[in-house]
Amino acid sequence: MLLKLEEVTKRFGGLVAVNSVSLEIDEGEKVGIVGPNGSGKTTLYNVISGVYAPDGGRIFFEGKEITNLPAHERTKLGIARTFQVPRPFGSATVRENVAIGAMFGRANAGVDEALEMADRYLEMVGIYELREKEAKLLTPLEKKLMELARALAMKPKLLLLDELLAGMNPQDINRILDLINKVKEEENIATIAMVEHLMHAITKFAERVVVMHQGSKLIEGPTMEVLNHPKVVEVYLGEKLKIG
Amino acid sequence: MRNYTPLVTLLLIYAVMIAIGQGIQGMWQPIMLVIFYIAVGQALNIFLGMTGYVNFGYVALLGVGAYGMAVALGYYTDLGLIPALTLGFILAILLAFIVSMVVGGIALRLRGAYFAIATIGVNEGIKYLILGGKIWGGSSGIVLSGILRKAYGAETMRFLSTVFADAGLIVVAILSGIITMYILNSRLGYGLIALREDEDAAKVMGINVRRYKQIAFVISCILAGLIGATAWTLKLTYVFPQDVFAINYTVEAIVIVMLGGAGTLLGPVVGGLIYALLKYYLTIAFPGMQLLILAPLLIIVILLFPEGVVGYLAKAARGTRFEKFVR
Amino acid sequence: MAFVEQLISNLLYGAILGSVYGLATMGLSLIFGVLRIVNVGHGAFIMVGAFIAYWMFILYGIPPLISLFLAIAVGMAIGLAIYMLVVKRLVDAPELASLLAMFAIGIFIEEFAKQIWGADYVGYSWEIGGVSMLFTEVPFTKLLAFASSIVIAAVVYVWFRKTKIGKAVRAVVEDREGATTCGIDVNRIYALSFSLGIGLTVLSGVLVTLFTPVGINVYMGGEYTLKAFVIAVLGGLASPWGAFYAGFIFGLIENGSYTLLGLIPGVEPFGLTRFLSSVVLMLVLLVKPTGLLGGE
Repeated sequence: MLLKLEEVTKRFGGLVAVNSVSLEIDEGEKVGIVGPNGSGKTTLYNVISGVYAPDGGRIFFEGKEITNLPAHERTKLGIARTFQVPRPFGSATVRENVAIGAMFGRANAGVDEALEMADRYLEMVGIYELREKEAKLLTPLEKKLMELARALAMKPKLLLLDELLAGMNPQDINRILDLINKVKEEENIATIAMVEHLMHAITKFAERVVVMHQGSKLIEGPTMEVLNHPKVVEVYLGEKLKIG
Repeated sequence: MRNYTPLVTLLLIYAVMIAIGQGIQGMWQPIMLVIFYIAVGQALNIFLGMTGYVNFGYVALLGVGAYGMAVALGYYTDLGLIPALTLGFILAILLAFIVSMVVGGIALRLRGAYFAIATIGVNEGIKYLILGGKIWGGSSGIVLSGILRKAYGAETMRFLSTVFADAGLIVVAILSGIITMYILNSRLGYGLIALREDEDAAKVMGINVRRYKQIAFVISCILAGLIGATAWTLKLTYVFPQDVFAINYTVEAIVIVMLGGAGTLLGPVVGGLIYALLKYYLTIAFPGMQLLILAPLLIIVILLFPEGVVGYLAKAARGTRFEKFVR
Repeated sequence: MAFVEQLISNLLYGAILGSVYGLATMGLSLIFGVLRIVNVGHGAFIMVGAFIAYWMFILYGIPPLISLFLAIAVGMAIGLAIYMLVVKRLVDAPELASLLAMFAIGIFIEEFAKQIWGADYVGYSWEIGGVSMLFTEVPFTKLLAFASSIVIAAVVYVWFRKTKIGKAVRAVVEDREGATTCGIDVNRIYALSFSLGIGLTVLSGVLVTLFTPVGINVYMGGEYTLKAFVIAVLGGLASPWGAFYAGFIFGLIENGSYTLLGLIPGVEPFGLTRFLSSVVLMLVLLVKPTGLLGGE
């Protein structure tokens, strides 16, 4: 067991953003989290990565409780993430951005080593030629790729992807999915991908799917089975057509 | 990879300045003024430039450093010259360390604007503690010239307040530059850049932002303390609370950092040079109006050239053979 | 008993002065609440108000209460000009930029004032008698300042709650993006709030002169900047009403501690009171940073 959430709850004032969610992720597993906007997915990520402390419940990583561990210490244990809206360190170069991931993530690399790793991961995601550019000057897609490189350079055990594929064309999606699969196999990274739509991509990627609805876990199970479940169909209505 | 070449540029600038100061009649005083402002900018830059946090209480750190040296020389004169001087440097560092640990420990838990608000009180707080509590002579300050002349002789005192004070300041200024270069090339520097750009993302990237901010703050403050000890106490041989807590030094330091380029190595050097020369001639041309001219200058820099001279040059040099020498 | 009497009368003064402190901080909180910009040059605007009161009285014999109207008009004009020239471009810039710009603006105003009014301390005295209460004689001028502060704060409160534009300002404070989608012209609200914030600050400077008979000077603002920040932080920083109430608390703390510090031999209580302001600021930041971050 890599990650375990025990009845985790997070409130904002009167609003319950995440309501008693339990979740288990194994090493190297590929899990999709699906849910409409406002279903509590991003809050769940923020609770896992340590941006917020949960109001109730407990979180374990590799059997060790991390419920109240600060974000930066969780990162050291091997949690990495990308952001729905990319958050580059704007005035630093692309290469420096990725190197920062390598330095402060689980990889814990020295400066020289981190810069070399940055080059390697930038090559992998296909934006090596942009490495000397200021990160704020990238296009939104390039920023997403840079964030992926930055997260991978951290050498995580658990990779949290937040709407990484949204806004990409089918070729890019396939390329990125292949890449994630390849890195995942090589380094045995568990990956959780969070998506709002794009049901097609999720079927190609995830072995298991968790559906969130209004802050709670609606249903969880093998991908195809879950996506065709009446409850899910009810929540998504027309979305089912996309699975086709 | 790691690049220390900009230090060559830095040391070259110092060599030229010292050569001009020593070689040309009447140039030593203006050169020392320039070096003072470079040092003040360089020390502030380590915190303000690299973290994006503003320390409005900056001058207070020069002030406590000045007091540290003055207390050692004035109250422990009997220890003898070398021990008293050593104690002076230790006290300057220690006082700056304590103030920066307390202020940083409380205020750096807060984000930018709140931190800035907290520091507004620091300068006034320390000044009025000394004035109100009548500590270290209260408003009459500590006057060293008589004490030093009596204890160590006029010759030694003159040496202290000229050669030794100037050399001490030059060492502190260059040391600040070397430390800046080291930080820029280290994990600390990368962590600081990340937190300056996006503190929340930096946390999730594994950076202990509070610790990093605190380290930068303490280093910046200790260097400021050493500047106060050398450029003020040793050079002037007196310390008055009204002088060493004057807020215009904070303004000047900020102008220098922003003008030259925040977060760069050579920024404070260029900023300090431009500023000191500007001030020198403005004082002659428009006495008493420096701040009136400086304030709009600062606004213009912020609005139109937020990267400063060196920030701009470093970008322009990217991809050319000068790239390695500018940072 | 003399000490207790002195303490009580000083506390009474503290409450009266506190009302003016509160008013003097409302503008700061309004600007921070709406624009998320910290006016670190705050005190300079109080100084402008003080000089308006001084010159109107000296030159034309106009009592400060009438000058209040001129002060808010001048203040709003200055505020609007600063917004248009500088602040407008800094609303979405990094915090560093707006902090330094406001700092520079404050210094510019002080230095500009020095060129026209000089660096000397000046003052005027407006004698209209007083009333005896709680072991002390309270001048009517101070009671008028107290009453004016409360009336002005109440007017601003009603404006916020009842008028359409006031409600729009509140909507922007609560949710900038939400307000935009509701069709509120956020830029106009920014301009108005900044202008009104500076207007209130300049106006409060007029009332401040009723407490510092000979303390009008171009650098008088620094003290009030620090006090305003202590008060604003006490009141939650983004809330003008919080600031107004916190002003009273601060007035009481300041005058109470001044009296108590006077009991310590060998110190100078005035200086130590100012030291104490900084300590209070630090303590509030230490104890209640979560409240300050507005629920973050």
